[in-house]
Amino acid sequence: MLALIYFIILGVIAIGSAFCVLLSRHPLYGALSLVLSMLSLAGIYGLLASPFIGVVQVMVYAGAIMMLLTFVIMVLNGARDSKTPMFDRVSLFVVPAVLVLTGLVGFVLVRSPIAFDSTALRGSVKLTSETLFNVAQTGPGYFILFEVLGLLLLSSMAAAVLLAKKRLGSVDSDNAEDK
Amino acid sequence: MMNLPLWLIPLLPLVGTILLGAIAVISSGSKKGPSEGMVGFLAVLFPALAFVAVLLLAMGMPVDGIRGTLCNWIDIPLFKADFGFLFDGLSRIMLLFVTGIGALITLYSIGYMHGDRGFARFFAYINLFLFSMIVLVLGDSLLLTFLGWEGVGLCSYLLIGFWNKDVNNCKAANKAFIVNRVGDIGFLLGMLCLVTVGGAGILNYDALNAFIQMILTGGHVEIVLPILSLAGLLFFIGCTGKSAQIPLLTWLPDAMAGPTPVSALIHAATMVTAGVYLLARLGNMFALLPVVLFIITLIGLLTAFWAAMAGLFQNDIKKVLAYSTISQLGYMFMAAGVCAFDASIFHVFTHAFFKAALFLGAGAVIHALAGEQDMRKMGGMLKKTPVTACVMLFAFFAIIGFPGFAGFWSKDLILERLFMSGPLGPAFYVVGLLTAVITAVYMGRLIILTFFGSYRGSKESEEHIHEAPACMLIPMVILAIGAIFAGYFWADSLGITVFSDSLAPVVGAAQASVVHAGAHVNPLIFAGLGTLAALLGMFIALKVYGSARIPEAKGSSAPQGFKASWTFFFDSLHKYCGIIPVSVLAWICDVVVDKILQAIQWTVGAIATILGDGVSTFQVRKVRLQLAFSVACVAILVAVVLLTGGTF
Amino acid sequence: MELQAIYVQVLALAIFAIGLIVAISRRNVFFVLMGVELALNAVNLSFVGFAKTLPADMSVAGQIVPLFSIAIAAAEACVGLAMVILIFRNRESVDADTYSNMKG
Repeated sequence: MLALIYFIILGVIAIGSAFCVLLSRHPLYGALSLVLSMLSLAGIYGLLASPFIGVVQVMVYAGAIMMLLTFVIMVLNGARDSKTPMFDRVSLFVVPAVLVLTGLVGFVLVRSPIAFDSTALRGSVKLTSETLFNVAQTGPGYFILFEVLGLLLLSSMAAAVLLAKKRLGSVDSDNAEDK
Repeated sequence: MMNLPLWLIPLLPLVGTILLGAIAVISSGSKKGPSEGMVGFLAVLFPALAFVAVLLLAMGMPVDGIRGTLCNWIDIPLFKADFGFLFDGLSRIMLLFVTGIGALITLYSIGYMHGDRGFARFFAYINLFLFSMIVLVLGDSLLLTFLGWEGVGLCSYLLIGFWNKDVNNCKAANKAFIVNRVGDIGFLLGMLCLVTVGGAGILNYDALNAFIQMILTGGHVEIVLPILSLAGLLFFIGCTGKSAQIPLLTWLPDAMAGPTPVSALIHAATMVTAGVYLLARLGNMFALLPVVLFIITLIGLLTAFWAAMAGLFQNDIKKVLAYSTISQLGYMFMAAGVCAFDASIFHVFTHAFFKAALFLGAGAVIHALAGEQDMRKMGGMLKKTPVTACVMLFAFFAIIGFPGFAGFWSKDLILERLFMSGPLGPAFYVVGLLTAVITAVYMGRLIILTFFGSYRGSKESEEHIHEAPACMLIPMVILAIGAIFAGYFWADSLGITVFSDSLAPVVGAAQASVVHAGAHVNPLIFAGLGTLAALLGMFIALKVYGSARIPEAKGSSAPQGFKASWTFFFDSLHKYCGIIPVSVLAWICDVVVDKILQAIQWTVGAIATILGDGVSTFQVRKVRLQLAFSVACVAILVAVVLLTGGTF
Repeated sequence: MELQAIYVQVLALAIFAIGLIVAISRRNVFFVLMGVELALNAVNLSFVGFAKTLPADMSVAGQIVPLFSIAIAAAEACVGLAMVILIFRNRESVDADTYSNMKG
């Protein structure tokens, strides 16, 4: 009963802040609303007995990714573009389409007989680390995936640096140094 | 000298082909062309070396032949074939005269082709031809023989159309090639028939003979007889294509469009005898098939008679020789039809000499007259070109079967075997003898029109008549000597049987299996009758053409009127039975199939275009709108899946 | 009244729908990125929610995969933001509709 109350509170916060993202004019407000939404989702993970994912959610999403986003928004002065309308005619088409899709999927979901299983394992650090690194027991699949993920992050970092750096000798870099 | 490898024989002309082909390609750009001396030397060198190799191998050949496998050729499940060579009594004789006469004619060609633009190309083709012919004769399986068979067909095509500036030559080459394809399909289907009876291994000659032996001893001949008969008939169709027999003979007279040495080598001495070779090679199989043998005899007889008559009507000196070749090939098929394979191969052997000599002589005459081929414009050449005339005369005596000359021995042998072949033998014999008379008549006409009387050409051309150069005369003289003495390898009445003894291991069994039921007649009577036929023919020729005024040559040298309808009988037969139905079919294909298919194709294309144009209106520049569309479509898909319950 | 598994799924679905609407209907490129992140979050929640409905051994995968998807989201955000910076520097605009250089 208590879990349900917590869930309703957190869920309302998550959906409300998601609506804030949708409706906010300035990207920075949107980003901050998104952080709030993610924090509440982290709480729901905790409710669902997966505290490790909740912690990762806070650290990586709310911490790292959103901080990066906020930085970029603040660095690019033109991020707040008052000339650009928030919505246009495309939105009039998108919203009904998405709502229909959601309605259909929700209809299927509601009719499906799913229920919590009391034997489901708790998503603790112990479980995660055993699954990932105890190769002898769970096989090498997750471990290899983990290593590949490391490579992916490294390469995306390099790609981001290469993409975003100012070309030496270009007009842009000269202007930037003047400022 | 026994350790000479067999693959050396085909390798030598192949090397020659590659070298000369390279020279021809390299020098094709230059104005002057390659040095004729060097090209000629290379061109003669390789066939001559091959001849020497064959000679050395022939000296020390054991009775049952030499077999050698070079390497694996095809190796797939259910089917294996090797590059294997078989050198036995039959291929020995064939190889000896193929390489020998090939080398001689190559030597002759150096003089004949002097100054031609495609000098090196010509000799590359000749070497390629010799390579293919050697493969044909030396192969130890039908498959390898077929390779050579196609190779000589290709070379024949290339050489007939050698002077490809003239569209008529190209047409003649195409005709030869296409008519030969009809026969080749027979050969291929024949091989397939054999494979259905005995598996893929049966294509090897040794395996085939063993198979025949097995069914003979097993007594199950009647089980496989239908399919074997079919195979035999199909092989015979292949032979009629290559050896210009009824009904596939129309290409050979047209093939005279090629250079004369080519006519001598390919279309008289060697390639056209490939069919006879195949019959003899498969002799053990044919000996089981009386129906097929009867058909072969009949076809040979008809061909010999028809072609002899057609030869009577020609004015072109090479056309006469072409029809004479067809007629002589008819004799060979007759002999094969009565299971006298050794006699037929013997006639191939002697015919190669005298017909090559005749063609080379005709070539020398044409050369002397600067390309004139119409006999009505010749005459009195005896004084102008004595050596050529002598060569032609000796060859003439050989072809009509004058006693003592090569043709006498072989032709009489064939007629004798025909007579003794069975109840119909005497009838065959009479037609054969009649054909021999006609042969003497048309050959006599050729000799009289060309060498006797007075010159009928223009005055200024008379002064240019000259004897051929030495490198052309030497091969002619050698061949003339062959035309006189080649017959003495098998002179039954003199007790010499070198030739038949040599062939006995290969075809002896086949000939022994056919019983020759016929009254035994003294061979001297046959010889006398044959001589009489030759003399009678010569007498008729002398009476008709010796004194009579030769009609003025006007227009083309092609025969007119009844003569034309006789000559081109099979051409028109092909036209009405082959070409017109095929053209109608092609027209139907074009109109019905092609047009309808195209209409369908256009319809589909138009639909696709319209659809594409319609869809492309959705391709707006906004990415977001595209995404929105895709979301909407996903929604529709989900709805469809839900409504159909996931079965759709 | 206890917490039901279906509530979690409905919540995830709602957040996913909002994320999709944000990503497609907003023209500011930063909101596009944020909408994508929101949708990814919703999917992660759905994973965990479903994992909890399965018995012991089978419930592991659903709790591991979100970790990976979070990491991939981090990489995606990283590259995406770098591209935004690059494009912004060239075009001085954050309007996604003006990015039509690659139009066929």
